[in-house]
Amino acid sequence: MSILQDIPILSLILLAPLAGLLVVLLLPKQRSGWMKTAAIVATIVPFLLSLWLYADFDKQQGGAAYDEQLSWAEIPLNKELQNGVSEFVFKFQYALGVDGLSMPLVLLTALVTAMAALAAVHVKKRWKSFFVWFLLLETGMLGVFLARDVFLFFVFFEITLVAMYFLIGIWGYFHRERAANQFLLYNGIGSAIMLLAFVLLVNTAGFRIDQAGEQASFVYSGSYADILRNLADPNAWVNLSPDQLGGVNPFQMTDAMQWTLFIMLLVAFGIKLPVFPFHTWMLKVHTEAPPSVVMIHSGVLLKMGAYGLLRFGVLLFPEQVREWAAVLAALGVVNILYGALLAFRQQEFKLVLAYSSISHMGIVLLGLAAFNEIGLQGALFQLVSHGLISALLFLIVGSLFERTGTTELAKLGGLARSMPFMSGVLLTAGLASLGLPGLSGFVAEFLAFLGLFESMRWLTALGVVGIVLTAAYVLRAVLKITFGAQREKYGALRDARLVEAVPMIVLLAFILLLGCYPSVLTDTMQTSIGGLFEQLLATRAGG
Amino acid sequence: MDMYTQAAWLVPLFPLAAFLLLTALGRGFRKAGALIGSAGALAAFVLSLLIVVERLGEGAVDYNNAIDWIAIGDYTLRIGFEVTNLTAMMLVVVTLVSFLVNLYSAGYMKNDERITVFYGYVSLFTFSMLGLVLSDNLLSLYIFWELVGVCSFLLVGFWYTKPKARAAAKKAFIVTRIGDAGLLLGILLLFWYMPDHALDFTTIQSVFDGQSGAITTGITTLIALLIFLGAIGKSGQFPLHVWLPDAMEGPTPISALIHAATMVAAGVFLIARTYDIFQDSAAAMETVAYVGGFTAIFAATVALAQNDIKRILAYSTVSQLGYMMMALGLGSLTGGVFHLFTHAFFKALLFLGAGSVIHAVHTQNIHEMGGLASKMRVTAWTFAVGALALSGIPPFSGFWSKDMILTAAIETNPLLFVVGLAAAFCTALYMARLFFLVFMGKPGSASADAHEAPAVMTAPLVVLAVLAAAAGFVETPWNGWFGSWLSGEAEAAHGSGVAIVASIAVGLLGLYVGWLIYGKGGVSRKAAAERAPWLVKLLENGYYADELYAAVIVKPIRTIGSVLMVVDEYIIGGLVRLAGIATAYAGRTAARLQNGQVQTYGLAAAIGFVVLVAAIVGRRFWP
Repeated sequence: MSILQDIPILSLILLAPLAGLLVVLLLPKQRSGWMKTAAIVATIVPFLLSLWLYADFDKQQGGAAYDEQLSWAEIPLNKELQNGVSEFVFKFQYALGVDGLSMPLVLLTALVTAMAALAAVHVKKRWKSFFVWFLLLETGMLGVFLARDVFLFFVFFEITLVAMYFLIGIWGYFHRERAANQFLLYNGIGSAIMLLAFVLLVNTAGFRIDQAGEQASFVYSGSYADILRNLADPNAWVNLSPDQLGGVNPFQMTDAMQWTLFIMLLVAFGIKLPVFPFHTWMLKVHTEAPPSVVMIHSGVLLKMGAYGLLRFGVLLFPEQVREWAAVLAALGVVNILYGALLAFRQQEFKLVLAYSSISHMGIVLLGLAAFNEIGLQGALFQLVSHGLISALLFLIVGSLFERTGTTELAKLGGLARSMPFMSGVLLTAGLASLGLPGLSGFVAEFLAFLGLFESMRWLTALGVVGIVLTAAYVLRAVLKITFGAQREKYGALRDARLVEAVPMIVLLAFILLLGCYPSVLTDTMQTSIGGLFEQLLATRAGG
Repeated sequence: MDMYTQAAWLVPLFPLAAFLLLTALGRGFRKAGALIGSAGALAAFVLSLLIVVERLGEGAVDYNNAIDWIAIGDYTLRIGFEVTNLTAMMLVVVTLVSFLVNLYSAGYMKNDERITVFYGYVSLFTFSMLGLVLSDNLLSLYIFWELVGVCSFLLVGFWYTKPKARAAAKKAFIVTRIGDAGLLLGILLLFWYMPDHALDFTTIQSVFDGQSGAITTGITTLIALLIFLGAIGKSGQFPLHVWLPDAMEGPTPISALIHAATMVAAGVFLIARTYDIFQDSAAAMETVAYVGGFTAIFAATVALAQNDIKRILAYSTVSQLGYMMMALGLGSLTGGVFHLFTHAFFKALLFLGAGSVIHAVHTQNIHEMGGLASKMRVTAWTFAVGALALSGIPPFSGFWSKDMILTAAIETNPLLFVVGLAAAFCTALYMARLFFLVFMGKPGSASADAHEAPAVMTAPLVVLAVLAAAAGFVETPWNGWFGSWLSGEAEAAHGSGVAIVASIAVGLLGLYVGWLIYGKGGVSRKAAAERAPWLVKLLENGYYADELYAAVIVKPIRTIGSVLMVVDEYIIGGLVRLAGIATAYAGRTAARLQNGQVQTYGLAAAIGFVVLVAAIVGRRFWP
């Protein structure tokens, strides 16, 4: 037994940024230094807590011990319908939990946000509202990964949208308002589809009967555990035809409906990931949002799409994923190659990185499409790895822009001379991004390719072509900035200050750790993925 | 009794420690660079030497040890090291050349302000190369394979302010990555076909024994060719050789260490390590032999027309690596590895000698040099030894290894024997040209102030010259010690009188013709340029391989990228804008409903209610 099981550790992690938010609200407006400190502390606390949880998690072999559940609101439904029914309600609940899928992402979120808070030193105006939205954003993200109730998940998902909208719209660059509007609109469409899918899901699979002696209570809820159990159990009402139930079965989920739900979820989360051709909204975010926010956007928010796809797509509808594996893999390959080819042609470094994100998210799709343990591990590994690497890259972009006033490749060059440290970090981050062994990107790519190769060789081979293209566009951009003759006007640039160097070193250290000793992550993921596959296989055998 | 062998994992850790120390110290400690770097390499060399000495006796057993790297369900990926006689030999070659290059660089890089960084990179490279050599399975080999690639990239681009260095570094990385992608696919294929998904060399050896039939010939060939693709990239074989001549933009000691003696030989080493797979597929062996043979003659002819001293040696390296590949493809594992062994010494020697020359005259154009022999005696003498070894003149080391390859060719493939002889002739010719133009004759425009390099640079030359002269005696036609030590089986004498005579004859002929043209001046140097100017142009430009790549690969990719950019902006981006417009339109329409009339609101509420009811009721009749 560890102490973590006796305290609501998940809630503490989730609410720590909110506490910081309150402190920031109470501070006087002029005290920007205090506010920054408060915000940084408020992000470091959940980071340390999730680090502790992560260490404890491994020893527990799974996260069930930390589950938290509170009933939030109950809406009574008509209970005269049946005899012997004590209760017929719709339950909104506050349910949190971690498993091998979400644990690494919680830690990633806390880490990247803490580093982004340090990078927020470059923010120039309205510190108070910035940090308020910033900390709200963190709670939203943590909530997305911790929620074990589809409605709770949805609420947190929406919180991130609103917070991002203001962070882009107020603190962004020149076209910030257009970028913010586009972001909200496009993601709004995704959210609408997601909500519709969730409602349908709850109406069928979100039904539970608690038998207590003679009396039974009928409960509709968004409980993820209930939905998963119902869908996986071939004898649950969801999976029975009306005939098997005496003519009427309002809970039945037909094949057609399963497919509809699956495709709705695919679109909803595909927009966030982003899957080609739903990607263009995120280009503007990458170029217009302030760098510390892009760190979070590229480092964590995109991962929410992949996480949603995994949690609700793959786990709830494994049959559909299996049948559509080739489609997913093809989409992944398109993402990889399309993103890489376009990254190769960009003149703006931020756009190179944006397209690179598209390319790298293709690897996630490949891992999911592989539909085996190795592939899933690869997909998850890629989420964490890409989160760290892209956060690091945008951290550097922020510091670079502070000094040079531009991120256009044509205007940069030779920075290695005046800024050897930052150039070195940029080069290393670039190498991590192109999948150099010893750094985290390689492990993810390798596992995803390895997993997919079992079933789809030709698509894997096409995907592997991507590693050559990636090398080409990463080196083109990074060498353009750092190598070459030094430009006159950049002669006196200062290398990274301590407050900039610390997050760079921390992120780099994690990238290196995962690259050299990947077991630290894969073992944790294995606690869930291993069991998951046994379960999926058993279901298939049974049904 | 295997004390040193079991401690082999320590060998790479010395240079790694040097790298970490140098990185931590930063560039402030200029003096410490050479000291720490050399000490790391020296310690590694001493231990490697002890390992080899320990294994010289009869019956040295292979030793390996591995740890789990990633365990996923039933699959385990492991990282480990293995010491065989082949890896032990490679350890010594790598650490020795690395140490000498470390020493040499103390003089050559003395005035460079980033000398500490340089030594850091060199130490990192040495670590990676040793890791590659020691790897006990294909996955960890691949990891180090990529790491040596990145070190090569860093060192080629060491003088990063030069645009040419930047371009060369990028090219080196990307071109070799094409090969790496092939190797990666080969590993994936192997993983899913091997029993228990084993990737270690011992298991590979037992599965591909030619009889078990666990894996079909087709798949075997495919795996072998994919692995070979990796070797083509790394070892500069045609058609992926284009990066190696450009890599000469790096500091010359690097060219000696990475682009002559060690990393570029990794492709040969890889094939030697997975030789059992190749032996199971006749088609793969033939491909290796022909690609190697073609590369040997192709690059040798290009070397004839180059004017940059380092580019001549670079093409020569490509050509010699082709020789090694040809030997492997012809079934002579010993021949390929033996040539790797001797080549490492004499080519490192030639590069370091060239560096000494460049250091003295500050140009790389051989036509601006001349008459340097009198001013740089040690360099000239040692360079001569290297040139004779490379040209295959007995008793220098290159003769013995080249002869072994030609003997293998004459027995199995007369066509490749002729190709090998032709390449040997070109080799002797371009080395004579190089030597006479640089060291003999009248002093050139740049030779005026030339003087011998300091002892810290000439001492490595002398050591390498001794090895280049004598290393061949470990394996002679009448004494197959090296081959039997390597393979663990007694090898029959393999001399072929024809091969010996022919190879000596073409070597001497090449030197003689070179002397006639560039030494004595009996034949005009411009004769070829006057009679066949197109041929000279063709050779000078390396058969326009770069231009071909630009037209066939780089340009189309750029064009596709440009087209996709338009597609992304107008078609896919149009989707987003459409969504925006649609939402705005919907918003305006909805706003029109808010006209303050209760009837309208009532109507809207009623419609909504009907839809809701219909949805709930209709839900039961969902198909």
